[in-house]
Amino acid sequence: MSKTTTYQKLIYAIGLVLSVLFIYTATSKLVQLDTFQSQLERMPYLSPYATWLTWTVPFTELVIAGLLLIEKHRTLAIYASLFLLGFFTIYITAVLQFSDSIPCSCGGVLSMLGWQDHILFNLTFMALAFCAILLIRKQNKLKLLDQDTT
Amino acid sequence: MKTNFLKIVLPAFAIILAVGLAFATEDNSVDRLAYYNVPGQGWQSTMVQESCDDSGAIPCKIGVYQLYEEPDFGSTQLHKD
Repeated sequence: MSKTTTYQKLIYAIGLVLSVLFIYTATSKLVQLDTFQSQLERMPYLSPYATWLTWTVPFTELVIAGLLLIEKHRTLAIYASLFLLGFFTIYITAVLQFSDSIPCSCGGVLSMLGWQDHILFNLTFMALAFCAILLIRKQNKLKLLDQDTT
Repeated sequence: MKTNFLKIVLPAFAIILAVGLAFATEDNSVDRLAYYNVPGQGWQSTMVQESCDDSGAIPCKIGVYQLYEEPDFGSTQLHKD
């Protein structure tokens, strides 16, 4: 099996894992939309935008999840995943400086995680996305080398 | 055949798995109302997770303010494990 094929399979696997995460969290939010909105209304800095964010966050997650499943858009979607997870992590870290009693507005079973656990969880998926980006770059370099040699 | 599996079957399975998991792990926990006193502004209310109650070692706070069960300093101070 060539290196390019291995990289391609790894990128595909990471994309699949990330898309499961985004579909899971988006669905969890949409299932309990009222709860999600009321949680956002109590979040520091975000409360003025709660109504708008109630729809935007799950919609963005679903769009990214969809793009991750389409080969043509996978690279863009992996960058978007890294950006979105990074934004969530920075926000959680900022909130931690403010209070330890603010309810989580994350979806499903993730709402049972503590803030520190949640940061660790996000960092793990960010690391996966980062690995995928590195693999995409390596794959592109190999493709360029192949083109040069032929 | 293999391409179809990777392009259609596996993504479809991933979608079904994620949606199924979301419904299976639907959070049924209920938040509760808690109160804190800000000097000069009086009693404010906020919602906290059920884990904040009268037991536990860690005080439930919002910022630097202790959370209470009622808008009264004599009421129970909320704590969590």
